[in-house]
Amino acid sequence: MPIELTDIERLAQILERSGVDAIEIEEPGQSLKLVMDTGARMAASPALAATAGPAADHSVIAKADVAGHFLAAHPWRDKPFVAPGQRIEAGAIVGLVKIGLLYAPIVAPATGIVDAVIAETGAMVGYGTPIVRIHPLGESSPIS
Amino acid sequence: MTTPDRPRISLLGTSALLFEAPGAFDLPHQRRIWSLAATASTWPDIREAIPGITNLMLTFETPPRELDTLIAALNDGWDAAEGLAIGGREIRLPVTYGGEIGSSLQSVADHCGLSVDDLVSIHAAPLYTVFALGSHPGYCYLGGMDPRITMPRRQTPLQRSAGGSVSIGGSQTGVSASPGPSGWHAIGHTTWAFFDPSWPTPAALAPGDTVRFEIERVIR
Amino acid sequence: MIEILSVTGPASVQDLGRFDQYRFGVGTSGAMDDVALRAGNILLGNDENAAGIEIPMMPFRLRFDRDTAFALTGAGVEAEIAGRTIPPWWRSQARAGDVLTIKAMPRGARCYLTVGGGIDVPTVLGSRSTQFRGEFGGLHGRPLQPGDILPCAASTATIGELGVEPADVTLARAAASADETIVRVVIAGEYDAYDEATHALFWRSSWKITPQSNRYGYRLQGPTVKPRAPIEKRSHGIVPGVIQIPPNGQPIIQMRDAQTSGGYPKIATVIRADLWRVGQARLGGKLRFEQTAYADALAAEAEMSAYLDRLRTNVRLVEEIRACR
Repeated sequence: MPIELTDIERLAQILERSGVDAIEIEEPGQSLKLVMDTGARMAASPALAATAGPAADHSVIAKADVAGHFLAAHPWRDKPFVAPGQRIEAGAIVGLVKIGLLYAPIVAPATGIVDAVIAETGAMVGYGTPIVRIHPLGESSPIS
Repeated sequence: MTTPDRPRISLLGTSALLFEAPGAFDLPHQRRIWSLAATASTWPDIREAIPGITNLMLTFETPPRELDTLIAALNDGWDAAEGLAIGGREIRLPVTYGGEIGSSLQSVADHCGLSVDDLVSIHAAPLYTVFALGSHPGYCYLGGMDPRITMPRRQTPLQRSAGGSVSIGGSQTGVSASPGPSGWHAIGHTTWAFFDPSWPTPAALAPGDTVRFEIERVIR
Repeated sequence: MIEILSVTGPASVQDLGRFDQYRFGVGTSGAMDDVALRAGNILLGNDENAAGIEIPMMPFRLRFDRDTAFALTGAGVEAEIAGRTIPPWWRSQARAGDVLTIKAMPRGARCYLTVGGGIDVPTVLGSRSTQFRGEFGGLHGRPLQPGDILPCAASTATIGELGVEPADVTLARAAASADETIVRVVIAGEYDAYDEATHALFWRSSWKITPQSNRYGYRLQGPTVKPRAPIEKRSHGIVPGVIQIPPNGQPIIQMRDAQTSGGYPKIATVIRADLWRVGQARLGGKLRFEQTAYADALAAEAEMSAYLDRLRTNVRLVEEIRACR
């Protein structure tokens, strides 16, 4: 059975809740490895994680598109970029990925209400790491 | 005036070095400064060699790792410096003494125990030499002022003094080219143009030029 | 083209300054926070000496008349354009007609707006910096006013959003507190004209930056600092950072638009590597001076240069990665 994007996200949620460290699935033509540990979360296989799209529970995920350390707030600010319950526009900055002295923005793929900030500030993230879960308001189409 | 009896060399952070010559505030000493400036401006790592009143500031391109070589070169350069006779132009500057701009005329006269007329005559009598430029664009420090009209600089500098003001600070006199803060005492003003960035040499006067103040008017 | 819509306080066009005109009495001018100006230019791939706008007071509004890449560095400001917030030390792309609004400046004292290619005013005596005293350079030698149109050099391709770590994070110094900035200084020629007790007073005081502080100089308030005997010096050259003590005993730090010479006694000079910290210290804030040897001052400059080198390399890498994708 082909592994769907929705399956990966649900697997990630299950792993997170259960505290299981790693899971590897291999099927002809595709493979998936999810590794989770406290403080460092690695990306899911890029080919499967690349496209944004609504999950089975109708949320969209803002993802990192570069590897580095996730910052929930700018170092000069106490307040994080976003908080649960906050409305944000498509394209708004929801966090930063710090690579050396660079701060790359993580942007909201759709207008909506912030559900949760999934990634931990300071955590190592990679291309496709889920950062913020957003409940889209459906007025504008998600940007990939 | 506080002057050293031997050359003094001190740092201005990592941006520049200041060389202060001993001796009187007079033309022979200033000519040796001009000579030292001409020499020092050719040294590597020196951006500009800027004469002051019997002193010289050397600004750095990049600050030298160690300073001993430069300090030695300055001391040797001073010992070897012979007065540089710069032939200059003679400028006549018409001055209105007193009035709104020359508002310290009376207080300087009082401080020196002179009448306003005597102060004006003493100030306008010499043929002054431009010792140096500095302070602000086109400003000239003049040498040759009579020590009888010395007045120490202000306790607190004034935030705004008018352009063209003719002032006394300590035993020096000068003319400002534009309005701005000043610790000197304005005794008059002139309308002459001292600076224009579009001129080939932006400043009208240069070290070695001479200035004669002409008493156009005295407002008591 | 940029059109200035509203200004509070003396905003001006500045590059890194004019450095070889002292012999005409022309001081450096240039950005009070040279590190921030350089960082903004690095973010945009400009020559580091490209001219930008120094903005010392808010609110400030301008309109981009063409698509323009821009950066905001220096002070921490609340800024937005086309409905989106601009984080600190950030570059972004403006579309023709977009209005940039900088509402407030909760942190720092000067914000720098740089644009792709730089502000294209004429160079005067080797620099685009505004010379207020001489009324030349920048835009007609004066502060910016509503209605002013600033030409921008032709900009390059559209850039992507990106931020960099602010200088005061990378170059953070121990023992700095919220409203007190510690500034390293090298003692100057007249230091020994003050006695031991007065030295101690100078080093341990938390000097208040009075409202009379500006690009000419920072006038400080604190205990009276008097020499053993009154000093009146012959006029001599000074540079930005020189701390003079007039007879009233209250220090003045000469800054970018200061006179190029003076005769008040000098107790110390702010090191070149910390001038930007003074430039970002707010009116009403405090300064404390830390005695520094020449060699250590050079080391501090090397540290500052290293930060800018890293920024340059990092930003260039981003462009290369983008080109490959």
